[in-house]
Amino acid sequence: MVKEASEMGSTNSSSKAWHVVYKIIKIWNVMIIEAVPDVHHNTKTLFLLQKKSDVYSVEDLWDKRSRKTDIGDEEEKYKDLKGNKKKKAEDLKKEVELDDHKLSASELEEKYGTSVNKGLSSARAAEILARDGPNSLTPPKATPEIVKFLKQMVGGFSILLWIGAVFSWISFGIQLAQGAESPFDNLYLGVVLALVVILTGIFAYYQEAKSTNIMASFSKMIPQQALVIRDAEKKELPADQLVVGDIVEIKGGDRIPADIRLIFTQGCKVDNSSLTGESEPQSRSCDFTHENPLETRNIAFYSTTCVEGTATGIVINTGDRTVIGRIASLTSGVGNEKTPIAIEIEHFVYLVAGVAISIGVLFFIISVSMRYKILDSIIFLIGIIVANVPEGLLATVTVSLSLTAKRMAKKNCLVKNLEAVETLGSTSIICSDKTGTLTQNRMTVAHLWFDNQIYSADTSEDQTTQPFDQSSPSWTALSKIVTLCNRAEFRPGQENLPIMKRVVVGDASETALLKFAEVILGDVMSIRARNRKVAEIPFNSTNKFQLSIHETDDPNDKRFLLVMKGAPERILERCSTIMINGKEEPLDSEKAEAFQTAYMELGGLGERVLGFCHLYLPEDEFPDTYPFDTDSMNFPTSNLCFVGLLSMIDPPRSTVPDAVSKCRSAGIKVIMVTGDHPITAKAIAKSVGIISATSETVEDIAKRLNIPVEQVNRREATAAVVNGMELKDMSLQQLDEILCNHSEIVFARTSPQQKLIIVEGCQRQGAVVAVTGDGVNDSPALKKADIGIAMGIAGSDAAKNAADMVLLDDNFASIVTGVEEGRLIFDNLKKTIAYTLTKNIAELCPFLIYIIASIPMPIGTITILFIDLGTDIIPSVALAYEKAESDIMNRRPRNKRKDRLVNEQLAVYSYLQIGIMQSVGAFITYFTVYAEQGFLPSTLLGVRVDWENNAINDFEDSYGQQWTKYQRMYLQWTGYTAFFVSITIQQVADLIIRKTRRNSIFQQGLFRNKVIWVGIFSQIGIALILTYGLGHVTALNFTPLRFQYWFVAVPFAILIWVYDEVRKLFIRRYPGSWWDKNMYY
Amino acid sequence: MPCLQRAQRPQGDVAGAHARGPDENKHEEKVQDPDRGEDDTKAEMGSKTWADLAREMKMFLWNPEERTCLGRTAKSWGLIFLFYFIFYTCLAGMFAFCLYVMLLTLSPYTPRYRDRVSPPGVMIRPYLNGFTIAFNVSQPGTWQPYVDSMHHFLAAYDDKVQEEKNIECISGRYFIQGGNESEEKKACQFKRSLLQNCSGIEDPTFGYSKGQPCILLKMNRIIGYRPGAGVPVSVDCKVQKGNESNLRSVDFYPGNGTFDLMYYPYYGKLTHVNYTSPLVAMHFTDVKKNYMVPIQCSLNGKGIINNVNSDRFLGRIIFTLSIGK
Repeated sequence: MVKEASEMGSTNSSSKAWHVVYKIIKIWNVMIIEAVPDVHHNTKTLFLLQKKSDVYSVEDLWDKRSRKTDIGDEEEKYKDLKGNKKKKAEDLKKEVELDDHKLSASELEEKYGTSVNKGLSSARAAEILARDGPNSLTPPKATPEIVKFLKQMVGGFSILLWIGAVFSWISFGIQLAQGAESPFDNLYLGVVLALVVILTGIFAYYQEAKSTNIMASFSKMIPQQALVIRDAEKKELPADQLVVGDIVEIKGGDRIPADIRLIFTQGCKVDNSSLTGESEPQSRSCDFTHENPLETRNIAFYSTTCVEGTATGIVINTGDRTVIGRIASLTSGVGNEKTPIAIEIEHFVYLVAGVAISIGVLFFIISVSMRYKILDSIIFLIGIIVANVPEGLLATVTVSLSLTAKRMAKKNCLVKNLEAVETLGSTSIICSDKTGTLTQNRMTVAHLWFDNQIYSADTSEDQTTQPFDQSSPSWTALSKIVTLCNRAEFRPGQENLPIMKRVVVGDASETALLKFAEVILGDVMSIRARNRKVAEIPFNSTNKFQLSIHETDDPNDKRFLLVMKGAPERILERCSTIMINGKEEPLDSEKAEAFQTAYMELGGLGERVLGFCHLYLPEDEFPDTYPFDTDSMNFPTSNLCFVGLLSMIDPPRSTVPDAVSKCRSAGIKVIMVTGDHPITAKAIAKSVGIISATSETVEDIAKRLNIPVEQVNRREATAAVVNGMELKDMSLQQLDEILCNHSEIVFARTSPQQKLIIVEGCQRQGAVVAVTGDGVNDSPALKKADIGIAMGIAGSDAAKNAADMVLLDDNFASIVTGVEEGRLIFDNLKKTIAYTLTKNIAELCPFLIYIIASIPMPIGTITILFIDLGTDIIPSVALAYEKAESDIMNRRPRNKRKDRLVNEQLAVYSYLQIGIMQSVGAFITYFTVYAEQGFLPSTLLGVRVDWENNAINDFEDSYGQQWTKYQRMYLQWTGYTAFFVSITIQQVADLIIRKTRRNSIFQQGLFRNKVIWVGIFSQIGIALILTYGLGHVTALNFTPLRFQYWFVAVPFAILIWVYDEVRKLFIRRYPGSWWDKNMYY
Repeated sequence: MPCLQRAQRPQGDVAGAHARGPDENKHEEKVQDPDRGEDDTKAEMGSKTWADLAREMKMFLWNPEERTCLGRTAKSWGLIFLFYFIFYTCLAGMFAFCLYVMLLTLSPYTPRYRDRVSPPGVMIRPYLNGFTIAFNVSQPGTWQPYVDSMHHFLAAYDDKVQEEKNIECISGRYFIQGGNESEEKKACQFKRSLLQNCSGIEDPTFGYSKGQPCILLKMNRIIGYRPGAGVPVSVDCKVQKGNESNLRSVDFYPGNGTFDLMYYPYYGKLTHVNYTSPLVAMHFTDVKKNYMVPIQCSLNGKGIINNVNSDRFLGRIIFTLSIGK
């Protein structure tokens, strides 16, 4: 017991270590991809920068403390790593030993034999390069293609078939040694089996390679360049040529090419998100600020990005010896978790293989004890294995999945990993990022306040007008301030684009205001041109306002107009009047109160509020030629006239609320995980329905009942907004409790590590978790999730690389489509498997009866392969096109432990009911063929030995006629063909009944799925070709069959259909009954 | 489900368990045990031990609490067995019925199709195991089995038996018997004595003792088949591969090695009860000794096929003679 407990403890701590590991994998991916920005990077960079500036200016910066503790967490995890693996510990120690940050520039020059001004000499650099190797990370030992290929060769059923092939060859060898007359049959059989394995292996390999290739396009690489000083000259070199001691120059936008000790900086900031997960840029200087090399300011790390400024530094580590390289090389061996569908398929393979082997061995024993020769028994064993294994099924499943993947790609879900197609269907929790996924990822003006009234603005994606009342003169004044007090500009050459889609140079809120003004007023740029700007104070964080002074466009009015915007309370401080209906009125306490109310209300909606005020400067004091000086502020900045408020928000996408409610009805919990403010997060969550209108958080209840938060019964609150700070202090149990007890959860202010913890928490509940995200910092969570969904437009390459699926339109609603497709494919795969398994019994029974009753062999091994890999393939793929039977979005996600792909009912119904019916039908045909040729059923029993004796060429039939061996063999092949045809005919019925599992075929519609008919016709067509076209190729064991034998099994086909209709009828009539429980698969 | 289990668990079971004293720990683990066995999350994480597995297996085989065996109660098993009993009984009934109906459509006298059994195949006697007849003249033990086989086979052709059961027919034309299909058909006599030197009457060793073995050749029976279309089918033999001179002379009985038309057609074993297949005896009087001589004897006549590769017994037969001194 004690041991168990300690094991649990270590599992726990090692799981912590895994966080780091996962993160690091991500980081590694980032490096690979970002090492070489792709072609579209330029446009993307702009977009990203825009987005980032939005984040920094709109939202308060992260609490320093929280960041530091995160780093602390990470160190703790490193310690865990050390504790677990000695080797890792040693490697990490080296990292700690890094002391270059403590050295002065001259000491560094000495240490690395370089010169800050001249750099290394080319010869010296070449030497070091030869010693250290190129400055690139050794890629993780990617599974060699050949290994992947071989895996396909031995995976799934292949191993069983190999066994079959080997047995065939063994028996061939024995027969050859014994000098038997026709040993080559077994040789051929072995070859055919091997071919089947190899071909299906190649097929699966090809499919896999194809889906991997989709992603290759994302990570097209062009080599990164670095600006290096060598031989006292600045040179552009490929980054992998860098060596220790090189002097490199970095500027904003560059990726740091190696670990660098900075010796000169100018306003340099780096984005360390790939290392620490922290997206806040950190400033870099030449000063040694911290003992810990990870925290000191004078080292820039490989793979991080320089956001702004410039810097020069000495390369101190390259390639795998960089901090990130060391961690990456430690963890490159970590693999992915299995997808739910992979687990299901494995389960199914085990099941079928188990049945195959146990029946095979059972009958091997039976046949040996029935005094069959061992050799014969082995041949029976091969037959049983071949009959039991649905050779074509795994290929069919792959095809079905890739068909769905294609369909999803059309609906903007690009699936990287084929198996992930289904994962989305079994998803029970979606952890969604807010920005960009749920929201439009752009600030938009949502509300206005002027004339003591709040107006709402249209925030939809494609607004062209604004509906609110624009007749008030106050609005005219406000619009002027909005237009003029704004530095953002449209990029030229976008006149034909809709306003909302135009690219703007400027920060997010200015962009929002610019677009807002453009929509209402038209050409903003010309308005600005008419109101020439004479002075400007840009926004800064100390005074928190922005001010500009303009000439007016009224030629009669020579006054200057001073416009100002900024934080509302700061603006109000500077005002003495307020504009109401175009008239300036003194700002008394009542009006200030109204302002406060409006400000609080808008702030409470999670919106960012800006105040606007203006002042017409008196003409006599400020004549035309007045020299405005923004440094000395020789103009009034108080006693202004307050005009109004505008509030902005990143509004939810219009499709999201509907999508969220669909997820709800589909039993999927949608959790919002964001780095944003709790208030904003909650507001957005409410507006998209993640927190429904009626539910309350603990805080809400406390407020309503007017009691302290601690006294509220936590179980009563259905919703919860959890702050990252609270989460940090929670134990795993507390997190589990929150995840369990609240159906509507928003995590705000979360760090990347916490995202990972949340995902793991959900997974502990047994949930299949989907995570959406776009940033580098989301990558660990994306990787950890059962299915990671990256944003195609806003997403970083790292996120895309870590994800299993990419949303090409960044739209949450596309996930719902994905869920629907995923659930549909799961249902349809069930149908496909049920369809395929059924005929296995019809293939197996002949063998069993052949062994027990010693009748002539009813169906040959090769013929079986023709069913499995010929006639049955297209129909089973066709089932993937089947429409859903009911609204699959109205049921709960499947329980991954209970709702198996292949459950007992499915196997039993297919094997023991429909399969047996098929066998009976096929045997009737078999006996008919033999009887009509002279061998009545009674004669056939027990004839096997004589029948197969090559020397007996006057074998008597029921009528006294005598048959040569070959004549009998030919008749036997006719029997094979008849059996084959019967199975095919009955498989048509099987195909039709498998269209639905509960509904009647007539409810589903016989002709709605056209592909099914393609399947049916192909099935019959292939059977016709095999029978009549290849009927004369003796090696295939087909003979031209008399036409009437095609119809012998038809009554049984009809019986199958009728029986299944009855089954479905009872299931629908008596839900929950014994019948329902045992017959519904 | 997993949520509830989690919620009921005492706090600190994961994080704090190993920090406490061993005794306390033990107690806590005990309390949790049953809960744990069913907690599949744990199991899926791969921490399932063999003991757990064995216990689960035992539980599955016989769960004393719910009184289930293999996951079903006795009642459930009973219903299942009842269902399958009815299901399979119906299916078996249907199978039997279908077979019965199918058999009803068949004639008991003539099979519906005879396309696969014709043209006729050929067999030889003596037949022991294979198609190599090898013996040493000086060692009776080596040829006696062949002689026995011949005698045994020809017993049905004894003149007495034939005279008793069968009628004499008119040679040279088909013996067509009209009338009702179900009437018993008469068979023509084929007396052993027709085989002359190979009849085993004068030489009971069929020439084996002299190194000149007799081999009987018979054509497979096919109902309604009229071989040769009016001209009797004849037999000839040649060396299959190798020197023609290895086989210098063969005598054929009766006649010149023909199957008389009067023995055809055959009417099936139900009505043509005493039918005895006509034979052609081949007396290999001068075969190269101490040598494996492969011999092919073929039927010749209209409608006879004797040259297909796939069936080496169709209209011909290949056997090897190896006669030692």
